[in-house]
Amino acid sequence: MEWNCTLTEDRLSDYLDGTLSGEEAAAFEAHAATCAKCAKLVADVRGLVTQMQKLEPLAAPPMLVTRIVNATIGPQKQSAGWKNVLAWRPAVLQPRFALGLVTVAATILILMYTAGFTPTRWKHADLSPATVLRTANRQAHLTFAKSAKFVNDLRVVYEIQTRLQPETQPQSAPAVPQQNPSPANPQDRSQASPHPGHSQSRTGVMLASLM
Amino acid sequence: MEPDAQLVQDCLRGDGPSWEELVRRNARRVFNLCYRFTGNATDADDLSQEVFLRIYKTLPSYKASSGAFPTWLTSVTRNLLVDHYRRTRRDRLTDSIDDENAPQLEEKPSAGRSPDKIAEAGELSAQIQEGLAQLSPELREAVILRDLQGLEYAEIQAVLQVPEGTVKSRINRGRIELAKILGDMGLRPN
Repeated sequence: MEWNCTLTEDRLSDYLDGTLSGEEAAAFEAHAATCAKCAKLVADVRGLVTQMQKLEPLAAPPMLVTRIVNATIGPQKQSAGWKNVLAWRPAVLQPRFALGLVTVAATILILMYTAGFTPTRWKHADLSPATVLRTANRQAHLTFAKSAKFVNDLRVVYEIQTRLQPETQPQSAPAVPQQNPSPANPQDRSQASPHPGHSQSRTGVMLASLM
Repeated sequence: MEPDAQLVQDCLRGDGPSWEELVRRNARRVFNLCYRFTGNATDADDLSQEVFLRIYKTLPSYKASSGAFPTWLTSVTRNLLVDHYRRTRRDRLTDSIDDENAPQLEEKPSAGRSPDKIAEAGELSAQIQEGLAQLSPELREAVILRDLQGLEYAEIQAVLQVPEGTVKSRINRGRIELAKILGDMGLRPN
């Protein structure tokens, strides 16, 4: 059977739908096997049709049904409110929105705990503005006092360290190698340099007493 | 009896929830048809609403014996889309004549990238949409009905009111032209 490029174009969808006769299909394939242009056309259209048929339909706008119903038979009372809320659910459940909501919730929780509100110990009276103000004020003062104490403690520690350093360094550093350049066992080593360890342990005791 | 036909009968008896169910079942199909034809989500939204308003008014004229409800719904949608196309085409022509600096008359919807297209789920879907916008309305509607809406040839024939040979020819030419347009855009779907 004679076949050419024009016939290939004209009967392409019939071939893809499988409605060509056996003889026609064989002639179609024989021509496409020898004609690069037709082979490319068949491959492109076949791929396009496959992709289009696999495309997921787009979702209708969330409020479309509600607007149509309202415009035709008027607002429906039964559970319309819940349906409106649920209509937004697919949009809200998208990762970008869900991540945003989680971040906001975490920020609110952190701020609440910092301000002294613990949901597990909530009472009705805690929600009155005066209590909220008082609690926030108290929490702010407590946080400030703790921070001030921490800074003061650090200052004391550094002051002690600064005072200890001039005593320990001149004695320990040059003296040890002269008295015992190569200690034979660990006991000798501990006896040979008592001062640095001693000064560290003193600092540690002081730190512990401050905490 | 098909489920939609039963709902239609309930609607004709004045049952509100049945109408709501009928709308809910078919809104996505109508919206997709409108969106694929116009390429604009806002227009598709407005047109979908208009389709159901017309369906609501003309529901008593629907006869289950003369065809399935989805085919009738598609037919009404297609008629509205054609009206919309003619209206917007006339507007575009008028705008172009008014504007002396217009380089040429725009016969087809813009193929440019709109926010709607960027927001669309897949890049392939957006590219196919761009390609469809460059097809003539006759070829575009035939390809959409066959390959995106999944209608059979006989159903498309009923919707378009043209002979089966014309339906097949339009689908075939539409597919080939679309494949060439997408090839020119550097896309080769496999």
